[in-house]
Amino acid sequence: MSKPSTDIASSNELLKSSTDAVEIAQKAGAQDAWASLSRDRSVSYTYRDGKIEKVEESTSRGLGISLYVDGRYSSHSTTDLRPDRLAAFIREAVALTRALQPDPHRKIPDPALFQGRPTVDLERKDPGLADLTPQKREAWCADMDAAAHADKRVISAESGLFSGESQGASASSNGFSGTWEGGYVGYNCTATVREGEDKRPEGSASAVGRFLAGLPEPSKIAEKALKRTIDRLGSKKGPTIRATMVVDPEAAISLISRALGPGSAAAIQQGRSFWAGKLGQPLLGDKLTITDEPLIPRGLASRHFDGEGIAAKRMPVLERGVVKNLYVDTYYGRKLGMAPTTGSASNRVVALGDKNLEQLLAQAGSGIYVTSWLGGNSDSTTGDFSLGLRGHLIENGKIGAPVGEMNVTGNLPALYKSLIAVGNDPYPYSSLRAPTLVFENVQFSGA
Amino acid sequence: MHSLSTRRTFVRGTATGAALLGASSLGLLGGCRRTSAPGTTMIPGDPATTSLSDHLGFFSIDEPTLTRVMAELTSRGADAADLYFQHSRDNSITMEDGIISRASSSVDQGVGLRVVVGDQTGYAFTEDLSLAAMIAAARTAASIAHGSKVVSPVGYKHGKTADFYTLKQPWSEIGVAQKLPRIEQLNTLARAGDPAIEKVTVSWADGEEVVLIADMHGRIHTDVRPMTRLWCMVTAKKNGVTQANSANLAGRQGFEWYTDERLAFVAKEAVNRTMILFEAKRPPAGELPVVLAAGASGILLHEAIGHGMEADFNRKGTSIYADMIGKKVAPDFVTIVDDATQPGERGALNVDDEGNQTEKTVLVDHGVMASYLHDSISARHYGHKGTGSGRRESFRHAPLPRMRSTYMENGPHTREEIIASVKKGIIAETFTNGQVQIGAGDFTFYIKNGWLIEDGKITAPIKDINIIGSGPEALRNVTMVGNDTKLDFGGWTCGKDGQSVPVSQGMPTTLVSKMTVGGENV
Repeated sequence: MSKPSTDIASSNELLKSSTDAVEIAQKAGAQDAWASLSRDRSVSYTYRDGKIEKVEESTSRGLGISLYVDGRYSSHSTTDLRPDRLAAFIREAVALTRALQPDPHRKIPDPALFQGRPTVDLERKDPGLADLTPQKREAWCADMDAAAHADKRVISAESGLFSGESQGASASSNGFSGTWEGGYVGYNCTATVREGEDKRPEGSASAVGRFLAGLPEPSKIAEKALKRTIDRLGSKKGPTIRATMVVDPEAAISLISRALGPGSAAAIQQGRSFWAGKLGQPLLGDKLTITDEPLIPRGLASRHFDGEGIAAKRMPVLERGVVKNLYVDTYYGRKLGMAPTTGSASNRVVALGDKNLEQLLAQAGSGIYVTSWLGGNSDSTTGDFSLGLRGHLIENGKIGAPVGEMNVTGNLPALYKSLIAVGNDPYPYSSLRAPTLVFENVQFSGA
Repeated sequence: MHSLSTRRTFVRGTATGAALLGASSLGLLGGCRRTSAPGTTMIPGDPATTSLSDHLGFFSIDEPTLTRVMAELTSRGADAADLYFQHSRDNSITMEDGIISRASSSVDQGVGLRVVVGDQTGYAFTEDLSLAAMIAAARTAASIAHGSKVVSPVGYKHGKTADFYTLKQPWSEIGVAQKLPRIEQLNTLARAGDPAIEKVTVSWADGEEVVLIADMHGRIHTDVRPMTRLWCMVTAKKNGVTQANSANLAGRQGFEWYTDERLAFVAKEAVNRTMILFEAKRPPAGELPVVLAAGASGILLHEAIGHGMEADFNRKGTSIYADMIGKKVAPDFVTIVDDATQPGERGALNVDDEGNQTEKTVLVDHGVMASYLHDSISARHYGHKGTGSGRRESFRHAPLPRMRSTYMENGPHTREEIIASVKKGIIAETFTNGQVQIGAGDFTFYIKNGWLIEDGKITAPIKDINIIGSGPEALRNVTMVGNDTKLDFGGWTCGKDGQSVPVSQGMPTTLVSKMTVGGENV
């Protein structure tokens, strides 16, 4: 691609532009300002039933700026980076901020929190991604497509290959400056089979990482998608029972996310969190230990600093179900009188148990093995939840017939009190590395 | 997994057959105040009174530029090709703990360039509207094609579009000073709603989007699309128990839409939905008759049938409805439509995102499967005239067949008759989200507020339960349909293939004789 005039090439140029934006805001009357610029490039191939279906390619950029004006606060973003337009945009944003109301809790993040920024190489970008030619992408898609069509009952299969890279920089009026870059690559596959007159069950699999090394062969992902699809054949509505629930690692990611979601100063201060008043207290049973780990090389959410410039460090969140730390940002920290930790999660690592899925199923004997969720929600204030699911019966300690059209319903703290085992098999392609989870005496609704 | 969030996620979705609907993604199309218009051009008004050159001028382009970019886009051949120019301005304001705690504005503009060859698509976009950047993007998109050059248009024709949401006063002319008193008024109303109320959050969003769609035949369509939303979130505490809930108003409406009556209504809804939670329990688990209250219950249609009728899934053979056109799928009194022509609705569209005329499409006509929802690719595939259902989240995405306002027409029964007919079941009133597996036909929706029905009477309140069912089975099991159909006043955002679009939904009071209710046997 030719290089347009407003294109910004390097992290240092982005940093310079961020600093310029902060200066424009200060000249316009802002006491403080925080600006970030980023640039992303992404390519995605979608392949279906023997040929390319869609190729999408883009380069994107944008500026975000937070303004602190006479005790008032606002934040703004734009993708129109032509210098004259950008300057006008910032000046108008400062004027808009003046029309708001003063908020005594709003202050730019404390520069003391910027200190001690780690320098460890996070290996966020795979130089090998530059070698991903269109021919290679198409060939890998074709490999997946062939593997996904290995069963003649397959009606259609979609295979995708995507990758991207980004660069960014932030600068603030109180001395913060930082840059970052990163990349990712991944693929996914969904196969659909015919079952009887009308039904067309489907199954999917995917993998994503910072580096190509460490990802499985694309065709392995397609094989997994096909197996999951075939496994759905003959699925029936499961029973209404109280039983043991074994949750697959990929499904466990969202079940853990739901439980951790309200663990922030923002949610607690707003009265929308069942974590309120629980710092230092047992909350989620006694089997779950979770640590926020921002410095894992090649981690999908690894970082040297967070969005407020706070230097990244390891943070225990739960130890055997006891709340050790909350996600506290500057604003809600001030409202609650708490020191900021970080307002946003990085990689979340679950302490592992010593058994694999086979052993855990054998131990469970009977129950429901959940492979994926369908819809459902939870109330962050009370922890009440109800989720649709698909999976299998557990019969004689082994995976049995496929079931669907079922819900599991309860309360998250109560559910985690019934967590009896954690597997040794974390899902690697996510920033939340969840293993198999086993809960006892769970309420299912079905036929 | 598909996401409800407005964030552009790092990891792409995998399950193409799954689609989500959510009410909780706040401010997808947020607000807009005039912060940084490109040049000095005002938002173009009615296409009938604004010249094409004014519209082009808004994006700092002209006809020769269009011709040059289109020539590059079609240089390797194309069955269809289009340019989608978009300029969006959004604004939002949040009041928390009685203080305007934050405001935000955003400007987003760019052009999406698409080449279609058969059912293959090449797509690229750029936020830089310089000729050099657009030519480069056109080359990228064109690489899907391997044919010979298509003749470029010699002239352009500005097509007429419908008029379902022209505002008296555009959002760009409404300042913060006008909005703040309305936000404070809603905050005060909600706080006064009950002594147990501890927190009120009011969130205001408004915006305008200008689009210009030019295709390889020289057709140009333009549209100015307003959007606004006002949320009221309430937290209350009673005897050491905390409960929170919310209500919102949403539509392609202007400032004057927020009347005293509407503010009082949304405050009361938010307060009532929260306070009732203190008494609410879980219903029994298992299969029960489910009455869907008029309005927001249209979520059932969106999930159980709407997604499955989007023609892309059928063209690819992955929908459970792929072979069902002309077949009887529901009782005679069931007619389900997807309608772009409901004025002021989130799902209203003057012209679709491919420049095609929009309409009211009948999906199920008196119980018989009637029509899919088409984009241009599927319309060509099926030899159909099209339904004007090609939509996209923004210039960053290629269009897909999508829903607009999905609802069921009135039936022969009354709400009272329907409730009286249920021995033991539930009535569902408010919802947070839903999802469907297109091929398997399994769909779900999550009930936030509802009631038990015992011996034909509404008795105790219920909360937080997921419903799961099979789409075709739920349609067959519709046993009564009321005469009180209405669209939900709150806003809904539909996610598919990583793209979110605003939609509306509605329903008359309806009885489905059996669905699986996520309750507890306590």
